[in-house]
Amino acid sequence: MGWGVHHANHYYGHSHVLARYCGLDDSDPPRIQGYLQHGWNIGDGLAPDHEFVPGVAKFVWSERVRRRAWSLGRRDVYVVGAPWAYLLAMEPEPAGPPRAGTIWYPFHGWEGQHVVGDHDGLIDEIRGTEPGPVTVCLYWQEYRTRQVRQRYERAGFRVICHGYRGGWWTDLDPGFLYRQLAEQRRHARVASNRLCSAVLYGALAGCAPAVYGDPMRLEGERSAFGGQARIEREWADLHGAAVDPAVARRAAVAELGADRLLPPAELRRVLGWPMPASVGDAELTGVLTR
Amino acid sequence: MTVTLLGGEMLLWSDLDAAHGPPPAGGPAARPLLGAVSGRTLVAGPHDPELLDAIPAEQLTVLVRGVADAEALAARYAGATVWCGSLEKVAAVPAYDTVVALDGLDRLRSAEDGELPWDETLARLVSVLRPGGRLLLGVENLFGLHRLVALPPALADTDWVVPDDHDPSRPAGPADLRAKLAAAGVAVVRSYAAYPAPVAPSVLLGPEILAEPSLAGFVAATLTTACAATTGMLADPVRLAVGAARHGLATELAPAWTVLAQLATGNVEHATARSEHGATGAGPWPDAVVAAGGPGREIRLADDDLPRGRGLAGLMLAACQRRDLPALRELLAGWQDGPAAGVPADRVVVGADGRCTGLAPAGEPLVALRHFARLVIDGGYAHLWPGAAGEPELTALLAGMTGRELEPTAVPPAASSTGDSPGSVRELTMARDRLARELAEARAKHDWYEQMLATREAELKRVRQINAVLSATVPGRAASTLVGGLRAGKRAMRAVVRRTRG
Repeated sequence: MGWGVHHANHYYGHSHVLARYCGLDDSDPPRIQGYLQHGWNIGDGLAPDHEFVPGVAKFVWSERVRRRAWSLGRRDVYVVGAPWAYLLAMEPEPAGPPRAGTIWYPFHGWEGQHVVGDHDGLIDEIRGTEPGPVTVCLYWQEYRTRQVRQRYERAGFRVICHGYRGGWWTDLDPGFLYRQLAEQRRHARVASNRLCSAVLYGALAGCAPAVYGDPMRLEGERSAFGGQARIEREWADLHGAAVDPAVARRAAVAELGADRLLPPAELRRVLGWPMPASVGDAELTGVLTR
Repeated sequence: MTVTLLGGEMLLWSDLDAAHGPPPAGGPAARPLLGAVSGRTLVAGPHDPELLDAIPAEQLTVLVRGVADAEALAARYAGATVWCGSLEKVAAVPAYDTVVALDGLDRLRSAEDGELPWDETLARLVSVLRPGGRLLLGVENLFGLHRLVALPPALADTDWVVPDDHDPSRPAGPADLRAKLAAAGVAVVRSYAAYPAPVAPSVLLGPEILAEPSLAGFVAATLTTACAATTGMLADPVRLAVGAARHGLATELAPAWTVLAQLATGNVEHATARSEHGATGAGPWPDAVVAAGGPGREIRLADDDLPRGRGLAGLMLAACQRRDLPALRELLAGWQDGPAAGVPADRVVVGADGRCTGLAPAGEPLVALRHFARLVIDGGYAHLWPGAAGEPELTALLAGMTGRELEPTAVPPAASSTGDSPGSVRELTMARDRLARELAEARAKHDWYEQMLATREAELKRVRQINAVLSATVPGRAASTLVGGLRAGKRAMRAVVRRTRG
């Protein structure tokens, strides 16, 4: 495993998706010469635990984040778009049974964090809102907590987990985004109690998004960059049980940088990656499919 | 014809040989203007003899201050009148239909004279014109961009006094020049901004062509060609000239102005008719004369086929400035996928339909792309992309933006004679700052890698220790025995193979 400048580059198999787009071996993505934004973010695009080395590139998803990061004194910030948007560019939606139901992402904490909130109240609200069958997707931490999982199962929901995001170059899960995309494409709606990456992903993948219910909170949650309150204020039109799909798609395109994807040849150079073995293919098709 | 020594002549002097100062006025751009002079003509000051060939010798009077120049001209033009000395000594008799002073007024006086204000020298020159007579005058702009970007000049023999830009009698700006000429009795009929230098400009641009928005790309490309390939300057004159044109200051900042002015006749109608047409009847005076390494091409707005649109380099650099990389990608692809791919971007005009028209011969596309990378670096936009901002690296990246796979090692060398070295102090300073930053960043990265290496080594040590401890346990020992046995078996097999081969 070639390790990236930062271990977070490999979260959710992000670097694997980009390696495939660049025509490289996606089972062993090369080291990205910089930090890659790994989740939707209302700050400078990078996680607060990042330590920065001067001159090391920061690759963010959207132009808006780049502008914000610059204003916060960050330099060497480059817009590449979200790996999710690249994955969608490579994986056209296959013909299949019509989409049905809702994929619901309860807000989760990350490793070492715990969500404080009323799961039962949330379940009632989901039941009362969603017209069709509901699939609840839990973060691996909650999925492994039998009580949490069973609470949603008892409510009659299908409970799934997209996988483990990985960390420190171990237990990486290159299949994470692929599973997430396959699941989202089975559903007509995507919803969460907080606007988050998954809702924007869903909106880009053709789901009608919704954000409602108790947003809950993390134990000891710090409101960096305005926190949840700012998200609700700034992206107000993405909140509610029914959101204008056109507005949502526009927001998803902008926030995931789907309008700013780089051609493979350019992305490869920007990430500091080697030339693929079969340059001809990369040049001819622009997007490598398999 | 012999030389007439007027007084004030300089015995050991030549302006034509350019040994004591700048070369004489000349250049291919001025030639079409000379073709349109008519009647008895006084050519005052040093002019490249090639320019004078257009004037019939029997109509020609030449005034120079160096004896050597006067003798050379007398030998060249048998029928011409050759005067040697100072303008001060020329009789103020209105005897000429045309006075040509493209070199300006500063070399009409000799080292033997005292100083005279600029407007008085002009009045003397005008005094020899017949009513309705015309003056073709070149005037250096002492605040022209050639001076703004110049390093402190070394003084030459001709600089016993230097043109004084504090002198209120000297025209400060094109409007003031117009006013001063009017005060001397001559009205400006036609005026041009002359680039890239007062001496031998290669481009003369009239106000109409500079004011036409759809010719912005043509003007930018023309100024680029004219001002290119200069070194030893404070800043790249191309960027300044093109920027001046964009801001409507191309005339104000021109290195020189070339004007055609006419003395009043009292008959206004006659004056107008003459102002619109060259006396040779060859048609109206051109709106511009462009000579890029060849004969001067006259351009008339009424019947031109100039490419309309904006300059490609300007559009792409503007996209960089706006951080609009998708727009840059589109422009790059449109250029590199079309027939103008090999033409440097600053010589390409993009029409309203997006079509690229090259105004220079096409070469190798990668050389043109590398040239644009240079423009990006010099423009201060290299920070829009990660990695070392050298020309080959940026060229490879720009190629990537068009979807083309290219390694920096495959980028051909630069076409310009200056190669990779920055041509001016500004670019040199930028390059130094960039390298200093890159070095500091490389050191920071080095420290970080060291730190990571230490972490990894510690990890390795820990794993080895665990290994050693595990090896000491019963299952560990059993595993070691197994591995050892396998290794022994492999060794034995190798020995057998070697023996059978041997």
